[in-house]
Amino acid sequence: MAAFHILRRDLLRYLRNPGRTALLFAIPLMMAGIFALVFGGGGEDGGITIRVLLWDEDSSLLGRLLQGAGDRPESEGRLEVVPVGQEGLEMMNHGDASALVHLPKGFTRAVIDGTPAVIEVIKNPAQRFLPLVVEEGVILGATVLSTGSRALRPELDVISSFLDADDAPEDAAVGALSASFNRRAKQFDSYVFPPVVKLEAVDVGASHDEETAASPQGIAAVLSVFLPGFAILGVLFLAQSATRDMLHDRETGVVRQLLTAPVTPVSYLVGKCLSVLVVSAVGLALLVAAGAAAGVAWGSPVAVVAVIVTAAIAASGTLLLVMSVVGSERQGDAVATVVIMSWCMLGGAFVPLSQMPTFLHPIAKTTLVYWATTAFSTLIAGGGIADVLPNLAVLAGGGALGIAIGAAVMGRRLARGAL
Amino acid sequence: MITVERLCRTFGDLVAVDDVSFEVRDGEILGLLGPNGAGKTTTLCMISGVLKPDSGRVLVDGRDIWLEPTVVKRDLGVVPQEVAVYEDLTARDNLSFWGSLYGLSGSELRERVDEGLTRVGLADRAGDRVKGFSGGMKRRLNLCMGLLHRPRFLLLDEPTVGIDPQARLNILEVIRGVTAGGTTVLYTTHYMEEAQELCDRIAIIDHGRILTVGTLDELTRLAGEAEVLRLAGGFDGIQARDRLQSIAGVRVLQAGDGSATLSVAAGGPGLLAVLPAVLSSGLPLDDVSIQRPNLQSVFISLTGRELRD
Repeated sequence: MAAFHILRRDLLRYLRNPGRTALLFAIPLMMAGIFALVFGGGGEDGGITIRVLLWDEDSSLLGRLLQGAGDRPESEGRLEVVPVGQEGLEMMNHGDASALVHLPKGFTRAVIDGTPAVIEVIKNPAQRFLPLVVEEGVILGATVLSTGSRALRPELDVISSFLDADDAPEDAAVGALSASFNRRAKQFDSYVFPPVVKLEAVDVGASHDEETAASPQGIAAVLSVFLPGFAILGVLFLAQSATRDMLHDRETGVVRQLLTAPVTPVSYLVGKCLSVLVVSAVGLALLVAAGAAAGVAWGSPVAVVAVIVTAAIAASGTLLLVMSVVGSERQGDAVATVVIMSWCMLGGAFVPLSQMPTFLHPIAKTTLVYWATTAFSTLIAGGGIADVLPNLAVLAGGGALGIAIGAAVMGRRLARGAL
Repeated sequence: MITVERLCRTFGDLVAVDDVSFEVRDGEILGLLGPNGAGKTTTLCMISGVLKPDSGRVLVDGRDIWLEPTVVKRDLGVVPQEVAVYEDLTARDNLSFWGSLYGLSGSELRERVDEGLTRVGLADRAGDRVKGFSGGMKRRLNLCMGLLHRPRFLLLDEPTVGIDPQARLNILEVIRGVTAGGTTVLYTTHYMEEAQELCDRIAIIDHGRILTVGTLDELTRLAGEAEVLRLAGGFDGIQARDRLQSIAGVRVLQAGDGSATLSVAAGGPGLLAVLPAVLSSGLPLDDVSIQRPNLQSVFISLTGRELRD
């Protein structure tokens, strides 16, 4: 019974300090919200721009195609192709673009002659993804050119002979070449059109014009990616705040006074653990509700509640374990912050596991953060409770173990150092 | 009655409490008097069931607190030296929580809280958060928490340390009031005046051992009704001891450079005979003062030291 009085008193303390409590719950929400606003679209440029330097020494067709791609209206704000000379190399040294595409002199003639032609792509090492996009684009262009060079070999050989000849070609020869191209184009037509596979790129939500004004769907999409991780970060900080209270009680003599009443150390610890659990679960539920209000589709309500409860158990167990081995409230704060941030980074709360180096994947799976984050992500992706059962088991089991060990250690310390 | 039997407690190599035994009789205030570090708080913690003794036992009305802790603790009210209240809660919240731990609820709890707040003069601050209270107000609230469930035995650990005279008077008045209602009190202090003023009997403790227990009269008689002479001047300790201990009827309690303390036994030649001998001892004296028998002289006669050392 004393445990419930202790729980009630702790909850009353949150109610008596509405400002502090609101701040405690708001911080993770604010962090996730800031992420969503920053990466959720709605900016003047509508997103990230890939800047490519084009050093075309050959004034080639490919160069003009690349230049044209940058000038297309749909590329506005996404792809910027800047024609440069040799100074482009210096610009790359200053990190002025994602990549430099170099088409050397004689490139077009090599393509026409069917001899090896080289396209050089110099990537910006400071960027991780954008240079890869440019590289993939150039590889695609090179593949098309190579295929065309082989498929149109007879016609290109004629063009090559025209280029080698001292005199201008005869009208009849040009006409014949034109007719040949025409026939070849018709042959290709049956292979190419209509395309068997069609690409449909769909912007989530608003049209482009609306997108530049506001993008709630974009925010929801980004929140769907980041909120699970930030929610776990938030619940860990809530659990830290609640468990730190136990050290505060010990340092200020509250525990000693409580033990003079008909309160056993066990009932005190049970009361405090319940308090940590309730605060963590309520905090996580609020974060989930806020995400839902912002458009995040969390999926099955039953499964979401199950993840909230087990994640709260996991957070409570983790922090109770940490606080049980530290010497003071201040030390507890420092150690807990390091543990929380490390676990969140390693567990994929900030960066999806797929973006992390492979050797870190097994390490990520040792953190409860990973299991909680992936549980939420699975539900957002349309999974049901059956899909997250392993996550629930790991979270509940790991958390319960943490609570048991933490409470045992704390109990021993209370008994030993109660004076 | 609280019976303390041969309590011992060590912390590593430090013997904090060494074979302590005494009784607190029903309805009395027993003072546990001793300097800081004498073992008072450790003893009180063992009596209140917070700290387990290495050996010995504590019986409250014949029941062992370590065998029946929850039953015995319902009869105990403990006011620790530390003010252990939740500062972010109101005075009423703190008391309500504390009362609920003793099974109080509903209107009974509300009445007890109101009564307690009025008794310690905090009724007008009941809804204020404790964070804004002065040290004295917090101590009064702490006392109120110890009294809320109307305990039969009240244990107080230096409840007046570090507070203003007005708050101190209020606390002492409340303690007298509850004693008049039949509550038995164990009161630890290092303030001699408080012990003399408040307590029916006094146990003197030093270095973890009980030196003596009795009423003020019994203790002063125990010390031989000695009067204490304090000397000050330009002498050194060895010189003072050599010259003073040869005087008949005098016991040198302490002799140092510039000061010395002597006790004059009642059965000897008396102060009027001793004083001229002291003055003619050849010691360069600047000041001589006479102290009537009190707890200070009792403590000095038992330990050779002043209580405030």
